[in-house]
Amino acid sequence: MNCQVKVKDRVGTINPIFTCQPAGAQFASIGVKDCIGIVHGGQGCVMFVRLLISQHLKESFEIASSSVHEDGAVFGALDRVETAVDVLLMRYPHVKVVPIITTCSTEVIGDDVDGLITKLEEGLLAEKYAGREVHLLAIHSPSFVGSMVSGYDVAVRDFVKKFAKKGEPSEKINLLTGWVNPGDVKELKHLVSELGVEANVLFEIESFDSPLMPDGTAVSHGNTTIADLEATGSAMHTFALNRYEGGKAAQYLEKKFKIPSTIGPTPIGIRNTDALVKKLSQVTGKPIPASLVKERGIALDAISDVAHMFLADKKVAIYGAADLVIGLAEYCLDLEMRPQLLLLGDDNAGYVNDPRIKALQDNVDYPMEIITNADFWELENRIKNEGLELDLILGHSKGRFISIDYNIPMVRVGFPTYDRAGIYRNPVVGYGGATWLAEQMANALFTDMEHKKNKEWLLNVW
Amino acid sequence: MPYHEFEVSKCIPERKQHAVVKGPGEDLTSCLPKGYLNTIPGSISERGCAYCGAKHVIGTPMKDVIHLSHGPVGCTYDTWQTKRYISDNNDYQLKYTFASDVKEKHIVFGAEKLLKQNILEAFKAFPEIKRMTIYQTCATALIGDDVDAIAAEVKEELPDVDIFVCNSPGFAGPSQSGGHHKINIAWINQKVGTIEPKITGDYVINYVGEYNIQGDQEIMVDFFKRMGIQVLSTFTGNGSYDDLRTMHGAHLNVLECARSAEYICDELRVRYGIPRLDIDGFGHKALGDSLRKIGLFFGIEDRAEAIIAEETAKWGPELAWYKERLQGKKVCLWPGGSKLWHWAHAIQEEMGVKVVSVYTKFGHQGDMEKGVSRCGEGALAIDDPNELENQEALRNLKPDVIFTGKRPGEVAKKMRVPYLNAHAYHNGPYKGFEGWVRFARDIYNAVYSPMHQLSAIDISKDDYATDKGFVTRRMLSDANLSDEAKASPITGYSGKFDPIAAIRAKTDADYPVYPRRSAAEAAE
Repeated sequence: MNCQVKVKDRVGTINPIFTCQPAGAQFASIGVKDCIGIVHGGQGCVMFVRLLISQHLKESFEIASSSVHEDGAVFGALDRVETAVDVLLMRYPHVKVVPIITTCSTEVIGDDVDGLITKLEEGLLAEKYAGREVHLLAIHSPSFVGSMVSGYDVAVRDFVKKFAKKGEPSEKINLLTGWVNPGDVKELKHLVSELGVEANVLFEIESFDSPLMPDGTAVSHGNTTIADLEATGSAMHTFALNRYEGGKAAQYLEKKFKIPSTIGPTPIGIRNTDALVKKLSQVTGKPIPASLVKERGIALDAISDVAHMFLADKKVAIYGAADLVIGLAEYCLDLEMRPQLLLLGDDNAGYVNDPRIKALQDNVDYPMEIITNADFWELENRIKNEGLELDLILGHSKGRFISIDYNIPMVRVGFPTYDRAGIYRNPVVGYGGATWLAEQMANALFTDMEHKKNKEWLLNVW
Repeated sequence: MPYHEFEVSKCIPERKQHAVVKGPGEDLTSCLPKGYLNTIPGSISERGCAYCGAKHVIGTPMKDVIHLSHGPVGCTYDTWQTKRYISDNNDYQLKYTFASDVKEKHIVFGAEKLLKQNILEAFKAFPEIKRMTIYQTCATALIGDDVDAIAAEVKEELPDVDIFVCNSPGFAGPSQSGGHHKINIAWINQKVGTIEPKITGDYVINYVGEYNIQGDQEIMVDFFKRMGIQVLSTFTGNGSYDDLRTMHGAHLNVLECARSAEYICDELRVRYGIPRLDIDGFGHKALGDSLRKIGLFFGIEDRAEAIIAEETAKWGPELAWYKERLQGKKVCLWPGGSKLWHWAHAIQEEMGVKVVSVYTKFGHQGDMEKGVSRCGEGALAIDDPNELENQEALRNLKPDVIFTGKRPGEVAKKMRVPYLNAHAYHNGPYKGFEGWVRFARDIYNAVYSPMHQLSAIDISKDDYATDKGFVTRRMLSDANLSDEAKASPITGYSGKFDPIAAIRAKTDADYPVYPRRSAAEAAE
C-alpha cells in the first residue's frame, strides 16, 4: 500500500496545527443570533480565542469569561458562572442564548455546570428574568480532549440537542456547513437556491463579512436563530457537509427525530460538489437546473486552463481540519497533482476508518503519508532533515514560516488565515470554490516561478 | 464626584469606582480609579490570564530558548504568533513553540512522564538549542505535576542543558499581571547568579522590561552602545537566556516597562545592591532625558548629549511637521499596562494630540497614578475596561483615533474610529527618535486616511462631491494650515520600511571606542 496512515510518533507537540476544544465551541457560538457564550475558565481561554477569530475574520464579536481566579480554582468556581450569567443578562438585554463552555481547569476541578443550570433556571431566570426568553446550555469542551474541531462538533450537537423540536414535517433540509468561511456560506446558499431547495443553514456566519457603515452602527453576528435551531427537529433531511464538524448533530437528529442524514463528502472540488448536488436533488426531488450545468462548465473551463499545463504532478502538503484536508487532497488528485503529506492535527481515532482515507490507500500509486495527531514539525522535519520535496503547501497561517523559510509557495486555506487579505470572503466549496482554489494554486506557482526565476518565461505564452 | 458611571454599567455598581474623569483642578487625591481587583465575571473584560502574562509577555521574547508549555495544546497555540517580538537570531522564539500536549489520560494518571519525554524530544529536534523554559498551565497546576522535579531530573541526565520553570497557571491572579510578577521572581530565584558575567566595559547595565516589539530593543541598545555602555542582558526582548543569568553583574538596571518588570529590578537592588533607573524610550524629550539620566549616572553626559543633538536634528523637523498637522486630534489611549503613562504626556506635548481617555487592562493603581497625572482635564480613565463601556466611551468622546489591541480595534473600526495597534504597533518600532516619528506617521495616516473620510458618506442621503478623482492625505491635513506650513518641503517620514536591518548590519567598528578607565578612576 503506497498510502500510509500513521500516528505521530512523538508525544509532544512542536508548533500545533490546532488549538483546543473551547475554541471550537466558541466559534460555533458566534454563529447563533442573540447568543453570547460564557467560557468557564481562565480569562486567556476567551481573550486569545477572540483574538484568533478576529484575526481571521477581521471582525469583532462578544464572548464572555467567568474569570476564574485562584480562589475559584481551589474552592470551586460555580459562583463565578452565576455572577457571569446575571451580569451578562443585565447588560445585554437582547441575549437569549447563553452556552456555558467548559475548559480544562473547570473540568478538572469538577464544577457541576449542568446542575448549576438547573439551579439558575429555577432561581435566577424564574425570578429575576421572569418573562424574558433565556436559554442556558452546558457545552463540555475540556481542552485535554480532541481539538478545536471536535469542540465545534460537540457544540453544534449540544445546541441542536437543546433546541430541536418535533414539529410539522417540513420541506426544508438542515444544512450543517461545518467550520467554514463567510465566502463558503454564500456559495452554499447560492447552490441550494439554484436547486430551489429550501435550506436551514445552521451556525450561519455569512454576515461576519460585514460592512463599515456611515452611521457606525454595523455589528457582526451569526444568523442562526432559536427558531432555526428548533426547526432542525422537523426537517426532511440533514446534510452535514463535514463529517467531523457537524456529523454528531446529524447523528443525533437521525436517532432522536428519525431525520435521515447525509454526512459528507465535503463539497470541495467539482466531483464532491457534483455528489452534493445529486444527493440534494435526489432527496428533495428537485431537478438539477441548467444554470448549475453552466456554472459547473464555467468552473471547468477555468480549471482546464491551469490543470494539466501547470498543476499536474505538483507535489503538495496539506494540513488542517480533517474534512478540509481530505477534500483538498481529493480535489488535488482530480487536478492531476500529487499530495505527498496530509497532516491531521488531532488524535481522533475515527480518521483511520474514514472511507475517503481508505479510498486514498486503495488507489494512490505513489508514496503518500497521512499523519494523525500531527504537528507542524511533521512537515518541517521532513523538509529539513528527510528530503521531502514540495512544490506547494496548502494550509492555514500558523504554518507560514515553513513556507517562508524553505521557499515553498503556499495557498492559505482553512482557519486561521490572518496573514493574507480577504481569504474568508472566498469559498473553497462548490463550483465557485473549485475555481478559486485552482486559480489560487496556479497563481501561487506562477509567482514562485518568477521569484525563483524557474521557467518564468513559460508564462509569456499562455 | 470624580467617578464616572457608565450607563451600561449602572447595574454592576462595583464598576463605579473603576472609572474617573479628571475634573478642573483635580489631582490624584480626588480621581484615582481602583485597579488590579478581581474581574467581574461576564462583564466581557479584555483581560488575559497569568499564564500569558508569564509566558507570552515576558518568557517568550527570550530568543535562544525552547519555550515549552506543560498542558493541553490550546495555551501554546493561542499565545503563538500573536505578537511582534522579533529577534536577531532569525526569530527562533517567534517561529517555534512547544506543548506537552496533555490529554485526558494524563489528567487522570499524571503528566510528569509525558513532560520528561517532551523535554527530551524538544532538545533532540533542536540540538543546537541548549536552553529551555517550561510554563505550567491551569490543567497541570491542578493535577499537581511537579515540574521542578522533572526539570532537575533532565538536567542531571543532560549536563549541557539548562531549564527554567515558571509556575504561573492561568488562574493565578486577576489578569496577566499576576504572571509578570511570578516570572520575575522565579527568574531571579532560579537563574540570576548562576553564571558569572564577562565585563568588557566600564559602564554595565541590564536593560529591563523591554520586549523588542518590532525592534525597539535593538534601537535602544544601539544608543547604549554608542554611549560606550555594555548591555549585559535584556529582560527579555531579543535577550539571551545565559546573559540573563548574569544580571547580578551589572552596575545599573535600566527599567523600561515598570508594570511588568519592576519586581526583578527591586529584587536585584535588595539582593545585589544594583540601583534601578526608570527610563522611557518613547518621545524625543523623554528619550533624551532618559539617555541624559543614564549618562549622568555614569558621568558620561557628553556622550548622551551628542546622540540627542544628532538625532533630534535629524528627526525633530519631521516630528514637528506631524505635530502641526495633528493639533487637537482626539485620542483614546487604550493599551494594556504601561503605555498609558509612557505615551499620554509625550504624544500631547510632541504630537499635539489631545488624550481624551486612557485605560488599562491589567495595570495597577500605580499605573493609573502616572497615567492620570499625565492627562489633561476632562480625560476619562478606565480600569479593566469592558466591551460595552468602551463602546459608550467611543460614542461619547468621538475620538479621531484610538490606540488599542487588534480585536478592540475591530470594534472601533465599525464605529468609524481608526485604530492603531498599541501592543504590536502598526509600522514600528516606535522607540527611538526615528521610531517616534514613525508613530506620528502612523497616527497621521490613520487620521487623514481618504478611505476613512469616504466611510462617513451615506451615498443614499448625503450630498457629496463628485469633482475629484482622488484626495491625498496632504489635501486633508493641510486644508486649514497657514500658507507657510502648506509650503513645507517636508513630506512626512523619510525613513525606510525596516530601520532595524541597518542596525543589525553594524559591527563593532561602527561604534566609537572610548578608552577604559584606570582602576583609580573607577574607584572614584
